[in-house]
Amino acid sequence: MSNDIKMNDSFLIPDLSPELERGPKWLRELRYRSRDEFNRLPLPRRGLHLWRYTDPNKFLVDSNSVTDSSFGIDFESTAKDLLVQLTDKHLDGVVTDQGGRVIRVSLSEEAEKAGVVVCRLSDAVEQHGELVEKYLYQQVNSATGKFEAMNSALWNDGVFVYIPDGVTVERPIHLLREAGLANSAQYPRLLAVVGKNAELNLVDEYTGGSPAMDEGLSYSNSAVEIFGLQDSRTRYVSLQRQAAGMNSYMTHRAKIEDGATMFTIPLAFGAALSKANFGVTLAGKGTESRMYGMLFGSGRQMFDNHTMHQHTSGETWSNIDFKVVLRDKANSAYTGLIRIENDAKTCEAYQENRNLLLNKGAKAETIPELEILNEDVSCSHGATIGPIDPMSIFYLNSRGIDTPTAVRMIVAGYVEPTVSRLPEDLKERVRGYIMKRLESI
Amino acid sequence: MSDKIRQQNENLKTLNEDYATKYGFRDPVDYFHKGAQGVNHEVVEMISKMKNEPRWMADIRHEALDIFLSKPMPKWGNQDLLGEIDFEKIFYFMKPIENQQTSWDDVPEYIKNTFDKLGIPEAEKNFLGGVSAQYESEVVYHSMKEELKEQGIVFLDMDSGLREFPDIVQKYFGTVIPAMDNKFSALNTAVWSGGSFIYVPPGIDVKIPLQAYFRINAENMGQFERTLIIADKGARVHYIEGCTAPVYSTDSLHSAVVEVIALDDAYIRYTTIQNWARNIFNLVTKRASAYKNGTVEWVDGNLGSRLTMKYPCIQLLGEGARGEILSVAFAGVSQHQDAGAKVIHAAPNTSSRITSKSISKDDGRASYRGLVKVHKNAENAKVSVECDALLIGEDARSDTYPTMEIDHDEVKIEHEARVSKVAEEQLFYLTSRGLTEDDARLLIVNGFMEPFTKELPLEYAVELNRLIELEMEGSIG
Repeated sequence: MSNDIKMNDSFLIPDLSPELERGPKWLRELRYRSRDEFNRLPLPRRGLHLWRYTDPNKFLVDSNSVTDSSFGIDFESTAKDLLVQLTDKHLDGVVTDQGGRVIRVSLSEEAEKAGVVVCRLSDAVEQHGELVEKYLYQQVNSATGKFEAMNSALWNDGVFVYIPDGVTVERPIHLLREAGLANSAQYPRLLAVVGKNAELNLVDEYTGGSPAMDEGLSYSNSAVEIFGLQDSRTRYVSLQRQAAGMNSYMTHRAKIEDGATMFTIPLAFGAALSKANFGVTLAGKGTESRMYGMLFGSGRQMFDNHTMHQHTSGETWSNIDFKVVLRDKANSAYTGLIRIENDAKTCEAYQENRNLLLNKGAKAETIPELEILNEDVSCSHGATIGPIDPMSIFYLNSRGIDTPTAVRMIVAGYVEPTVSRLPEDLKERVRGYIMKRLESI
Repeated sequence: MSDKIRQQNENLKTLNEDYATKYGFRDPVDYFHKGAQGVNHEVVEMISKMKNEPRWMADIRHEALDIFLSKPMPKWGNQDLLGEIDFEKIFYFMKPIENQQTSWDDVPEYIKNTFDKLGIPEAEKNFLGGVSAQYESEVVYHSMKEELKEQGIVFLDMDSGLREFPDIVQKYFGTVIPAMDNKFSALNTAVWSGGSFIYVPPGIDVKIPLQAYFRINAENMGQFERTLIIADKGARVHYIEGCTAPVYSTDSLHSAVVEVIALDDAYIRYTTIQNWARNIFNLVTKRASAYKNGTVEWVDGNLGSRLTMKYPCIQLLGEGARGEILSVAFAGVSQHQDAGAKVIHAAPNTSSRITSKSISKDDGRASYRGLVKVHKNAENAKVSVECDALLIGEDARSDTYPTMEIDHDEVKIEHEARVSKVAEEQLFYLTSRGLTEDDARLLIVNGFMEPFTKELPLEYAVELNRLIELEMEGSIG
């Protein structure tokens, strides 16, 4: 198009990026193709509905300003806690990923014995080449969008998880993805394949980044691809609690085949600007996908979330419940799409988005969308935006409970349906994050 | 099951074959001024000269034309269909007879014939307050009962309105929908012709609905009505606009602009039933402003046209203002009804309700596109949105794109949408009571539409039910 704004060269991926040379020939070709796509594609137009609320410039990384930097001090203690939980048999695996630069994997004996593979994506390319080549870039690639092309070209190293057919990993495998301090950019990538009739329980936790905007920004652009083969069961928790100077971009895609179930819990507390896109494709008969999302915004945080349930096969079922709590001058925009294709007969799909505004100045937008291309469906969506009902506060006051406590109780109750679905070890932690945000209410 | 549907589709092919005789009657017309195709500053100047308009209106037209030419086509909506519009092939102005008619007897016979088929004279005798019938680009017939005149109520076509009440028109024209608003409102502002002009003085309650029938009757001819309705403080009025149109072989564009203003404590209801021929593009901008304690209600039915893009809007600008939008859409074979509603809350204690119902049948596509915006100062705003969609046929499509933007925490917003097909249990229940499956399905569809039809005046409700029956016949076969 002629009216594209010419981009400064420093926003292009240069020919000599070392990442482009990583991996075997097929991978290098795909990386180069992604690089070309990224350089060719114009920035998404603000008029496009998924970009109405966020300026795409905020995710453009000036390659000159990125200086490999150190990591925050909290990381070591969180990592240590996780390893303790592994020895205490609360977890089946721990992966610590420092901006893709250092990745360490610890796996329980049971998991290892059962043939579970958790490793660096670069190692998987060598050792499980066929598997990786079959699945990598199938869902998030250069055709998905400009920023997905950016990750597809530049991921330095990522994480690979493979559960063989019939194997159940009962305890969660926990990924801790730490971002670098100011002036850093990272491109985390995850590829998970859950075999036939296998079960995976995965927690993907995003932390770190520049602690404050005035110290300089840090960038994170993450891509997640999950494949649930026949009759598999997957629970995936994405916990984003990055630091205040972070611009965070995430694209998550899962695809499930006949009889498989997918349970996604996207949670977000952190970052200055967080744009996340969670999509599940129900590609086989009898598949079921549930999503229980929650975010809590405070200060001047901005969240721009999308969810998508795409039914490409008949006899499928999906449900989304996305809850938003905002205080101070925080902003949230939620766009949720249910799409049912023409040959996906006999489907049910539901969607609910609730927004709780704790004070004036907080702002929420909600765009629940339906695209239904055949008649044999049952779909509904609901959305609400509003303050805490003054009657509820009044009721609690009349029972001798002061207003701040009443607000905390009501918010806790409001998010409980999501929190109660988390793995045991995460429940208390997440409740703690919520209460910490309500301390000064 | 699929055999049956194939059979249904076979039957459907013949559904519209007799449309030309049923609804597609068309009389040969001598066009007094059949303007050239395409639009430019000369055409605009000619339109304005021919109408003997004041200079300020001509200036507004020219300015709007520049805006129209500079604005790109919308990048959203049904791009395939929008791409088919060729602005160079459209006639921008036609004037079927030279002078305004004053009584029914003076109306030329051939035009009367057309109206007879629509049942207008009957309706007028019994019921109508005034008829303002749009035939071609200008109003040809206009009558108003004496009692309306006595009360000081102005109900004219827009051209006469501009001649007789230039001050009121100048004060309000383009204030609710400026030419800048979008490409089609700019086009309308540049070449508008006809439409209704209503002014109700303070405190007057117009007891009978004011009605206007619109018809367009020439191939490749654009219709650019401009309607302006003002209810002064404490006034009440109900305006009804309905239309059926003949079938044409080539595409035709209808792009109206309707501005509605309810001043303090005023009440306006605007009812439309749109049943354009299946080849017409209906791209309409409708917007209302409601001031302190004012109320505006849009009751909007979309049955016809190839592509309709229409999102009636209410701006609640004064404290306590209220808005309600009730809309139904029926998308049959190869139709796309892209309808919706917009409400802007810009004052405290305002409330609004949107109810949207759509039926998609065969390969028809019905979309709901909505916006609810609550501004910072709109304390205690209340909003409720409800969308229901019914799908009939394997290839029917329904989309819902609501947007809600809330800048204030003291606000209550609720949105709900449901999409489903005709429930088997309901069909089973009704057939077990002795109804045929066809009758049962029709009954369910009529029940689905009930919240809309019950808001219509009786003869419109009857007509709508008959139209739906006709539409359903094909699928029931």
